Amino acid sequence: MNAPDPRRRSLLLAGGSLTLAFSLAPAWAQGEGGAKGKGKLPGSLEKVPWLDAWIRIDADNAVTVFTGKAELGQGIKTALLQVAAEELQVNPARIRLVTADTARTPNEGYTAGSHSMQDSGTALRHAAAQVRFILAGMAAQRFGVAESAMTLRDGVFEAPGGRRATYGELLAGRQLHLRADGKAPLRPRATHTVSGKPLRRTDIPAKVTGGAAYVQDLRLPGMVHARVVRPPSQAARLESADTDSIARLPGVLKVVRDGRYLAVIADGEYRAVKAATALARATRWSVPASLPGTANVPADVRARPAEAMPILERGAAQAGGKTLSATYTRPWQLHASLGPSCAVAQLIDGKYTVWTHSQGVYPLREALAELLSVDKETIRCIHVEGSGCYGHNAADDVAADAALLARSYPGRPVRVQWMREEEHAWEPFGPAMLVDMRATLGLDGRIADWEYAVTSPSHNNRPGKAGNLLAATHLAKAFTPPPGKPIPQPEGGGDRNAIPYYVLPNARVTHRFQQNAPLRTSALRSLGAYCNVFAIESFMDELALAANIDPVAFRLRYLDDPRAIDVVKLAADKFGWNRGKPGARRGRGFAFARYKNLAAYCALALEVEVARETGFVRILRAVAAVDCGEVVNPDGVRNQIEGGIIQSASWTLLEQVRFDERQVQTVDWASYPILRFNQVPQSLEVHLIDRPGQPFLGTGEAAQGPAAAALANAVVQAAGVRVRDLPLDRARMRAAK
Amino acid sequence: MSYELQVNGKKHLVDTDADTPLLYVLRNDLALNGAKFGCGLGQCGACTVMLDGAPVMSCIVPVSVVGARPVRTVEGLGTAAQPGMLQQAFIDEQAAQCGYCIAGMIMRAQALLDRHLAPTDEQIRNHMMPNLCRCGTHMRILRAVRRAADTMGKARRGDRP
Amino acid sequence: MSDAGRGRRRGRTLRWLGWLSLVAALLGILAVAVMWRPALAPIDAAPRFEPGLVERGARVAALGTCAACHTVDPSRPFAGGFPIETPFGTVYSTNITPDKRTGIGGWSLEAFERAMRKGVSRDGHLLYPAFPYNHYARLSQGDVQALYAYFMTRPPLEAPAHANAMRFPFGFRPLVGFWNLLYLDDAPFEADPKQSAEWNRGAYVADALAHCSACHTPRTRLGGPDDKRFFDGGEAEDWYVPALNAKSPSPLPWSREHLAAYLRTGIAPGHAAAGGPMQGVVENLRHGDPADIDALATYIHRYLAQAPARDTPARRPGSLPAPKPDDPDLARMQLGHQVYADACARCHDAGRAESSGTALQLQQAVALYDPDPRSLIHLVRDGIAPPDGEPARWMPGFGAILSDEQTIALAAYLRRYGAGQADWPDLADAVRKGKE
Repeated sequence: MNAPDPRRRSLLLAGGSLTLAFSLAPAWAQGEGGAKGKGKLPGSLEKVPWLDAWIRIDADNAVTVFTGKAELGQGIKTALLQVAAEELQVNPARIRLVTADTARTPNEGYTAGSHSMQDSGTALRHAAAQVRFILAGMAAQRFGVAESAMTLRDGVFEAPGGRRATYGELLAGRQLHLRADGKAPLRPRATHTVSGKPLRRTDIPAKVTGGAAYVQDLRLPGMVHARVVRPPSQAARLESADTDSIARLPGVLKVVRDGRYLAVIADGEYRAVKAATALARATRWSVPASLPGTANVPADVRARPAEAMPILERGAAQAGGKTLSATYTRPWQLHASLGPSCAVAQLIDGKYTVWTHSQGVYPLREALAELLSVDKETIRCIHVEGSGCYGHNAADDVAADAALLARSYPGRPVRVQWMREEEHAWEPFGPAMLVDMRATLGLDGRIADWEYAVTSPSHNNRPGKAGNLLAATHLAKAFTPPPGKPIPQPEGGGDRNAIPYYVLPNARVTHRFQQNAPLRTSALRSLGAYCNVFAIESFMDELALAANIDPVAFRLRYLDDPRAIDVVKLAADKFGWNRGKPGARRGRGFAFARYKNLAAYCALALEVEVARETGFVRILRAVAAVDCGEVVNPDGVRNQIEGGIIQSASWTLLEQVRFDERQVQTVDWASYPILRFNQVPQSLEVHLIDRPGQPFLGTGEAAQGPAAAALANAVVQAAGVRVRDLPLDRARMRAAK
Repeated sequence: MSYELQVNGKKHLVDTDADTPLLYVLRNDLALNGAKFGCGLGQCGACTVMLDGAPVMSCIVPVSVVGARPVRTVEGLGTAAQPGMLQQAFIDEQAAQCGYCIAGMIMRAQALLDRHLAPTDEQIRNHMMPNLCRCGTHMRILRAVRRAADTMGKARRGDRP
Repeated sequence: MSDAGRGRRRGRTLRWLGWLSLVAALLGILAVAVMWRPALAPIDAAPRFEPGLVERGARVAALGTCAACHTVDPSRPFAGGFPIETPFGTVYSTNITPDKRTGIGGWSLEAFERAMRKGVSRDGHLLYPAFPYNHYARLSQGDVQALYAYFMTRPPLEAPAHANAMRFPFGFRPLVGFWNLLYLDDAPFEADPKQSAEWNRGAYVADALAHCSACHTPRTRLGGPDDKRFFDGGEAEDWYVPALNAKSPSPLPWSREHLAAYLRTGIAPGHAAAGGPMQGVVENLRHGDPADIDALATYIHRYLAQAPARDTPARRPGSLPAPKPDDPDLARMQLGHQVYADACARCHDAGRAESSGTALQLQQAVALYDPDPRSLIHLVRDGIAPPDGEPARWMPGFGAILSDEQTIALAAYLRRYGAGQADWPDLADAVRKGKE
């Protein structure tokens, strides 16, 4: 550690908290991964610069770390804990991590887009380093020794001669209400003992032994249970509802009716279920024909108006050579969280508390404030884990239900649990998309021209506005959903990963954004990247075949990013891409993408076996190579990639929402099957390339697109036929010619 | 109505409607978190418990039919401080992402391991079919069951003369 | 006795022996003629086929429901291994992919045809009539050729035949020769000139391809079709198979359209949902030519229409009532009603839409009107599972949830208060036996 430099800081006492005023600091030894350019603070520190917003150390030496991100099952709690523990040099078991709570944690927007490590991890890392740096200075001053003479272990400084001081003792109850500067030296990667190691997840022991872990497990004193009766469709009109007879059912405390919004509140959970069933039967709706049906989803997508937004114009259109064109499509798909969404809300003395698994407690609070016509300061949203959400599912909607019903039944906590049919029929869907593309191979076999257009409705209808909450659209004074808006590049929505990562001299990419869709759509893991990478990587194979070049070698010709080249080669090598040939009915496929062209790199090779007669596709083995920058929790990364591959395989081989002219028809697992144990790969390997010192890169969504394309490409080789319309379900595979 | 249930070796008296599924009784009357609501239709297995040694979907078991038959839930296999062999295998393999399906998976697997000394990988895979996982944790779940089967197999063989 | 006398007696004995030997030899020849067939030479390579013929073969195979028995694992079509339980033992279906060693890769068209029409394997051994060659015997030549083209162009899969588990003495295959004598009628299919073309097509599909009567007609003690009781109902895999004629147990009359929909999708809305062995049939038929399914429905419907109109509770579906206070079996009926109300009513009271698994209101369930309770017991215990990864009918199984006593009570209650029919006499035995 550096010698204390009195020029660098002076201590002031102000109002019970310790504030340090920083003078302009001279350049000092940079740790790896210091503040990223242009004077901005690293990660979320830019928005929330106060150190004590992130880290609190109490007089009894208890350490609490705060993050605005939420645990969605992606292991982020553990990973953030590792980051903080490493820089603070405190045993992770002694640190308490508090996640997304509008009363306690920084506002980091949504836990989405694979931003958690990039935003929160980076912020915590620098904040923790700075806290350690400050405390080291304080300890050195107290002991009257050079910083380099002290040792630090588990939050305790020790001076020669055995004098010790804990963090808690040094601060004596004061908090570090200081602005972060992002300049404290970070611990060198070679010295890491916590970050970068496979620390076991902190939440798993409770989850395998029946400990309380989810919002569904909340049991608050006096809690009552509610269920909502939804309209058969968004266009349905309520003709009549015999609420009186329902109010008399056993256990029913209240029947709520507000416009088309119907709900029951009961003293027992199953009584609420039965009362809701009875209410549904005692209700008459007229259900007009308002939907286009799903007999031909691509035609429906094409028919709806779209606004053309060019997002890449490079070089000039080329003629001459061999031109290939193709159209790829994706159906409506579901998050289909295993545990339907759930929330608990309570209204006491004009203050709302909402326990929710929403991905964004702060934006949710804004939307609820608008919905309830109250000040947002009267609402506290606390994140409690739900089952995996994979994007914007019904978590916010059920929070709105709970808040509304808490308002109808104030004083007691009201728990609302969505039923399976509700979740399947009403969650915001992954939108149906369509890609038209065309490329020209010059006489030299190289891609001379590339033209790409992706058509898609919005991938972002997250609350911020009350109109994004389902219940709000059913009230007598209904809120209107705000018009869908595209997400600008470089993140993108439907156009996420529409720009290929390949080096192509002449390329034009257009995002055809559709403001309207027959059903509500929003973010589903990887957003447009799933379809775009499916299309691009399938088409790269089509081009490689036309040029008579091996698909992996073909891709390498157009990659100049060495990290991309590394993952491609590693996946191919570990898979044995160039070794042997697949047997009869079997095929191999490859795909590569860099998520959003700026997050994690993922290359994937896999082998399938296809039975044409039954349409059954079996994945034999899959090998992935991933580069996500500096790895904090290797096992966590592997888990996310394995999960992403299997989930994407399920989407790709099985999943499509079906509706007729009136209603959604896929309302349970019988009508919307997902992958079961008999179809997961026989073997699945994930190889990580660790890049110490490189920024953390978002990984949770990196495998969705490559898995779809690798599957499709493998199926081509196995079955001798290319299907360009997802899903490659059994019916399609049987019919494919 | 009053029902006496035997859950994890202990007797409980609950007062609830006859048609209340066992799932709600376990969660709400007995405050057991393991079995989860996933669909209420017997399609996903998140609610799996053991009834008289056989795996059942507790969301479609009305409390009125249980009678004296013993019910076993994941809480009966061990605690966070002292996990059972199968639970430990899940921890060792870090076999969970969101974890919502895991208690059901464990009970389903436990029923297999109670009856088969040395199940093949194929048998494990087929046995687990009724249970869904949406996060894609299947490979780890299979590895955890395999690991527990191997551990239990060794232990049982050790007991034999 | 004199020498001449002894000589005459010896001569008589010799003549007796001679006649005996002749008769024995004749019987032997007859037996061999009945029980033995020559092997046919294997072929080296399969011939080439016109794509049109192969496609036709696919549709014929769908109507013949070959995959229902010959495909167990959807990733290994036609590799066999399905256990068919018969009163004579368990017969396993064989590998009919063109694998040289374990399948039919070495079979000529002649060998294939002989198997289809006469139940003789290429190497001469007799096939058990669990394979319904006594129906396929009436296939047209074109259909046989199409089937051959189809199967010989499937990817070969290695799958040795699973050993059968036959009861003594039926493990001795040549005995099947006698069965063939009695029951194998290889006269070609004859259209009935009095009937429409569609009816005749349906008759052909039903008899020569889908072999409906193999399950829907009772069998004699020797396991052959009891032609005098055509479509009187039968059994398959321990399920009761309903009669399709005047004795049809269906509580609602079938219309031709309902039947066609049922054969194509497994569901006749508000009427029937395919369960058990019928699932496999429907899974195959739906890949056949829709016009053929319509023809099949026309043909079968002609028989079903013979069923007299009955007034059954199926016309008044809805919540099932509590048992009457004066019911002689009150305790059992109350238990059954309780089980129904607590376990079944949630889906079956109001029914469940086709698009979400399908659940009939139970007054409409054919299984309650069957002369025996086996199908109902299977449904309650095992439910209905959709084919892997495909949306379809779904019912969870209650086998591990309900005790025998609860299952007996439920079945008895549903029979009386759901179907309004006389009790099943052997219900308790059937429930207890079914568990094995």
